[in-house]
Amino acid sequence: MLDLILCVDDDPITLMLCKKVISKTTFSNEIATAKNGEEALQYFESIKLNETGSNLKKQPQLIFLDLNMPVMGGWEFLDCFMSDDYSDFNTSTKVVILSSTIDPEDLEKAKNYPMVIDFLAKPITISMLDYLSNKEPQEKLLQQ
Amino acid sequence: MKSKVNQLTIIYILIAVFMAIVFYKLSIKYYYLTNYPFYNFSKDLVLVFLTAITFRYILSDNFNKNKIIFEHLKKTNKEIKESNDKYDIVAKATSDTIWDWKIQEDNLLWNKGIKTVFGYDQDQVGDSSKWWFENIHPEDSIKMSIKLYSFIEQKTDNWQDEYRFKCADNSYKYVLDRGFLLKDESGKAIRMIGAIQDVTKQKEEELRLKLLETVIIQTKDSIIIIEADSKSIGIPKIVYVNPAFSNMSGYHADDVIGKTPDIFIGPNSDKQEYEKLITALKNKEECIIETISYKKNQEEYWVRFSMIPIYNAENELSHWVSIQRDVTQDKKQEKEKEQLIRELTQNNKDLKQFSYITSHNLRAPLSNLTGLLNLIEDIPVSDPELEEILQGFNKSTQLLNDTINDLTKVMNIKDSPSIQKETVILKEVFENIFNQLSFQIKTAQPIIQLDFDNAQTLEINKSYIESILLNLLTNSIKYKSENKTLHISISTQEKENQTTITFKDNGIGIDLERNRDKVFGLYQRFHNYPDSKGLGLYLVKSQVEAMGGTIDIESEVNKGTTFTITFKN
Repeated sequence: MLDLILCVDDDPITLMLCKKVISKTTFSNEIATAKNGEEALQYFESIKLNETGSNLKKQPQLIFLDLNMPVMGGWEFLDCFMSDDYSDFNTSTKVVILSSTIDPEDLEKAKNYPMVIDFLAKPITISMLDYLSNKEPQEKLLQQ
Repeated sequence: MKSKVNQLTIIYILIAVFMAIVFYKLSIKYYYLTNYPFYNFSKDLVLVFLTAITFRYILSDNFNKNKIIFEHLKKTNKEIKESNDKYDIVAKATSDTIWDWKIQEDNLLWNKGIKTVFGYDQDQVGDSSKWWFENIHPEDSIKMSIKLYSFIEQKTDNWQDEYRFKCADNSYKYVLDRGFLLKDESGKAIRMIGAIQDVTKQKEEELRLKLLETVIIQTKDSIIIIEADSKSIGIPKIVYVNPAFSNMSGYHADDVIGKTPDIFIGPNSDKQEYEKLITALKNKEECIIETISYKKNQEEYWVRFSMIPIYNAENELSHWVSIQRDVTQDKKQEKEKEQLIRELTQNNKDLKQFSYITSHNLRAPLSNLTGLLNLIEDIPVSDPELEEILQGFNKSTQLLNDTINDLTKVMNIKDSPSIQKETVILKEVFENIFNQLSFQIKTAQPIIQLDFDNAQTLEINKSYIESILLNLLTNSIKYKSENKTLHISISTQEKENQTTITFKDNGIGIDLERNRDKVFGLYQRFHNYPDSKGLGLYLVKSQVEAMGGTIDIESEVNKGTTFTITFKN
């Protein structure tokens, strides 16, 4: 079971669905949400600030990332997240793209980001979470 | 010689003196009357000597005159002999055929050229002018004889003519015949001597060159010949332009000959292209450029311009030949085409973008619906009416989802220009399909015949062929005839680099007379079945075509349908 995951999606219903489905399983203890890439980055920025002071916010182990969002989309977020500014997080926090996109090019594009461990189609389902939690330990083993 | 004159004079003197002495003696003996015998004798002697001197003078004079005449005759003789020798030598050495015509007697003699050049043996050659004229090409003979007779009648000063002369082998040779007349004292022509030169080669070359020249003059491409002058820097001078060039550029030949071709350059000419040309000129290489050029009236036109170096026999660059074509129209069309392609590409891109966004925007709420319905499944519903409504809700969402997924599939097929191909074993494909359709097959109980003996494998995309055959099989089962057992036969044939899959059923068929052009269309439905979406055959055709194949349909209502899919190997 994961400690904390971050769901990034502009659609409140999707976020609600995520919370509901995840709460039905033992996938994660806590769920944080962000409405777009920028908010997600701000979340990580606040973790940085916390490190000096009180430990209010924790680092998520996994991000469910939508691609098509206003202000800052998924790809832009990944580009920023790859940079040295987030070097503390971008190796330990993995990303699963959860999108309704159908463009095969997106699938190819996702392979350029080492932290993206999977590309899944909406909606989020319990079987999807089962699949991920089976996959997650394997990934960890491979990394070690 | 002089001694001969002196000799004669001395003999004369001796005889005369002897005679004088004899008469003197006689006169002494017989004539006594003579008073002065010595005087008479002296007188005779004086007379003798005087006459001797006169005689000697006359003799000497005559002798000198004779001598001059003799010398002259001798010289003339020698000259004639030399001239004859020379004639013989020349007649032997020349390749010309010499003829000698005594006009009054009409006797015409030929030298050996008639044999060596024209191949006539001695006995084949006639000895009159008739034979000569007979062998002149009919087309040339009238013109030639008019000129010749006007010369003989001395209306013209000299005579030379070109005509065709028949050889012994009946072929004709082009000849140049030159002759001169010999006249008697009264000025009448009595004899004519001529030399026939074989100019067939020159004539043929001339005709060939004329033909080549015609090409240059008649061609629609502009041709410029430029002198290659290695000393001058830059582009050398124009020495020839053909009429097509004048037509194209408006420059008359006189306007440009002697100029350098940079007069055609203007502000909009392509500098880079000209650089290319100048480099090629420097390196003495062939080159082709395309640039805007300027007419005499400064009108712009696009020209495709080639420069070809011409080397002479000494392998030195002598000229450049430039062939030019006005490609303004081509360029215009090319530009229009490019513009059209750009617009189409943009439109296509926009449309594709639009369809991705649309389907994304459709999919996003749809996936939410699906997700929410998944959540409801776990919540018990007590109200039966609500239960029914939720079921309808669920089913509609499912259908909508399927449609969107199908459309996505179609879009992805249409969008992938090259797809992965692999060797696919058809039997395995069918095993897989039968597994997927096990429920439908169990319900419909069809008799399925598979015959892949002719071609067991295909070089093809596996998921596409699976989808194609799955769709066809589903259709066959879905549209089976109610009152007879469903028969499906699937077979393969291979011929001429093509593999054909024939898929035949005995189902309800499609009325092709009404629907042939719609069969493979998107959302075309021919039977009022609840779960028919009109997508299957569209998808099948798209996938077949994406793999470079073709699909045909034959169908008769209530008899069955046959699909023929052909792939090139």
